[in-house]
Amino acid sequence: MKQGFKRRDLLKAGCAGGLLLATGLARGADSPATPFINQLSSLRAPLPKARGARVVVVGGGWAGLTLAKYLKRFHPAFDVVLIDRHAVFVSCPLSNLWMAQQIPLEFLTHSYLDAARNNGYLFFNATVIDLDRTRRRLHTEQGYIDYDYLAMAPGIDYDYARLGVEDPGDEYALRTHYPAGFTGASELLTIKNKLQSFRGGTFLLTVPAGNYRCMAAPYERACMAAAIFRKRGVRAKVLLLDMNPDVRIKRDGFLRAFKTFYPDIIQYETSVGITSVDPTRRVIATDFDEYAFDDAAIYPPVRASRLLERLELADLNTPQKEARIDPFKYHLIGDEHLYLCGDARSQPFSKSGNTANSEARYVAEVIAAHAEGREIPWRSPQTMCFSGVHIDPLEAMSIIAFYRYDKQQKTFAFDRTHMVEQWSTRIAQAGLAWGEGMYRDMFYSG
Amino acid sequence: MRYFIAAALSVLLGAPPASAAPIQITLSFEPDLANGREIYAICAACHLPEGWGNKDGTYPQLAGQHRNVLIRQLLNIRSGKRSNPLMFPFVQERTIGGYQSLADVVAYIATLPMTPDHDQGPWAPGTPEYAEGERLYVSRCAACHGLRGEGDNRHYYPRLQGQHYAYMVRQIGLIRRVLRRVDPAMETIVKTLDDTRLRHILNYVSRLPVPATDLAPSADWRNPDFR
Repeated sequence: MKQGFKRRDLLKAGCAGGLLLATGLARGADSPATPFINQLSSLRAPLPKARGARVVVVGGGWAGLTLAKYLKRFHPAFDVVLIDRHAVFVSCPLSNLWMAQQIPLEFLTHSYLDAARNNGYLFFNATVIDLDRTRRRLHTEQGYIDYDYLAMAPGIDYDYARLGVEDPGDEYALRTHYPAGFTGASELLTIKNKLQSFRGGTFLLTVPAGNYRCMAAPYERACMAAAIFRKRGVRAKVLLLDMNPDVRIKRDGFLRAFKTFYPDIIQYETSVGITSVDPTRRVIATDFDEYAFDDAAIYPPVRASRLLERLELADLNTPQKEARIDPFKYHLIGDEHLYLCGDARSQPFSKSGNTANSEARYVAEVIAAHAEGREIPWRSPQTMCFSGVHIDPLEAMSIIAFYRYDKQQKTFAFDRTHMVEQWSTRIAQAGLAWGEGMYRDMFYSG
Repeated sequence: MRYFIAAALSVLLGAPPASAAPIQITLSFEPDLANGREIYAICAACHLPEGWGNKDGTYPQLAGQHRNVLIRQLLNIRSGKRSNPLMFPFVQERTIGGYQSLADVVAYIATLPMTPDHDQGPWAPGTPEYAEGERLYVSRCAACHGLRGEGDNRHYYPRLQGQHYAYMVRQIGLIRRVLRRVDPAMETIVKTLDDTRLRHILNYVSRLPVPATDLAPSADWRNPDFR
């Protein structure tokens, strides 16, 4: 609460600063310049005038891109603006296959301009810094945007504190030297460079506890890392430390893949309670042991994007600090003009690209229906996930899962699932077709 | 063959084709069910081994659909005529294979037993909504789709029996907003009906009985081919 007041005071100070500037200018050029930051809150973002009710989508990931497209499609009168602080999109899903040189970077890289051009909305390359819900005004570092609906899809942030890393210097060292590879292109590029140039020894990978992004990815990455080391002829061990008691998804398949393809490379340890990481000595401490490593990609537990906290939307009492939203209609409790979906959602759905895409189609329809004074029935997001286990040729497994609401437990549970743990080149091909279809949906033709 | 080459040449020379008349080629394939089952493994990644679709309308029931209807949808999605960006790469030749594979997989799908528990509309027989739906269906739809919603393989008319109500509502909505293009006759009929009437029709359709011999023994049945 206290924090909130501080933030609002800052905003007020900003407005006052704007006035000061005006008087300052009136007094002449020799008066002290007012810092730009004080003018910012009264500056309008350089965007075309809204033609129709404006929906601002924050976050150009899988949820945000899908929201923007389908908001326009389901309700063409909407004037849709998609905001992201990145200028180019690089897909996290399928990036493990790129690290193992099974697909080119072009497969994963797409232009926000194409997405906006092809789908009739505006793309605004900016960073969100504040929100005034009373005035329905969103502030960015390039000025404010007034909205009729705000749809937040800010994704996740890492929570290094849950690895026992509290010191900002240590956290910085981990983020820079041993990045997790689940929130940005630079992390992915660095991990690929590490895997492709590793000289041997122990390469550490971790699987976080809690509901982390992309359930299968750490296990797939272990397979890809092992495959890369073998192909390069490097004497290396992949040490996979899992904070969970067992493989979280496609258990039998992954365990069989470790044993079949990489028995001499992958060392898999379960129920590892990570208590601290020393990035300088390259030692990770657990409840019972210490493990030394030569290089690593350390994946800490995740939480909802810190942006939600900054905008006073997060419920800090929840373990992963999500916003309190209606679990079926996705609006913030008490505000039907502010929606939230994607990996920052509070429902326990799997945090994956396909989940976000299918969910965002539904949420776009919910917002369109709200604008038209209608309601639509809830439908489940779909978690569809392919995991590569072998390269040259690429072989993969798959799962699709739906959710249902359990009225007694008052939570969501898996409904039907279909898992293919017998890997094959055919499923791998389906996985690539899946990715192509997703990028096509978000960036290209209708 | 001669016509085909002539058309191709005129395109190369930048001249308009000599005749605007379409060139129709009919190809026949003997379906191979075993290969169809192999191919269907790709489809099952999303459509599930039973091909029953979802009661919430996100996936259609494919099981029991006419082969010609299925193959037309596959070809329309392949060419982009029916917009489905997510499915588009799956139905390209590089993923699913050529015409023979399409013929094989639709033949396999047509053999699958249908779900005994598909999504039905909210209005039971005896309600005025059901009655209106029946009246409109018989007068506007049955000529092509059949009085029992059985469709017609030869004429590419989809079988509607057993299709999920929620799926049909979504598709009709797309057709109404011209986001999905279909047969002009169908488009015309849809245009003359409002949302409420269309829902009454679809409610009636969703309650047309499926012949017991086409149904799986229970909703818990699982396709043994994918065990």
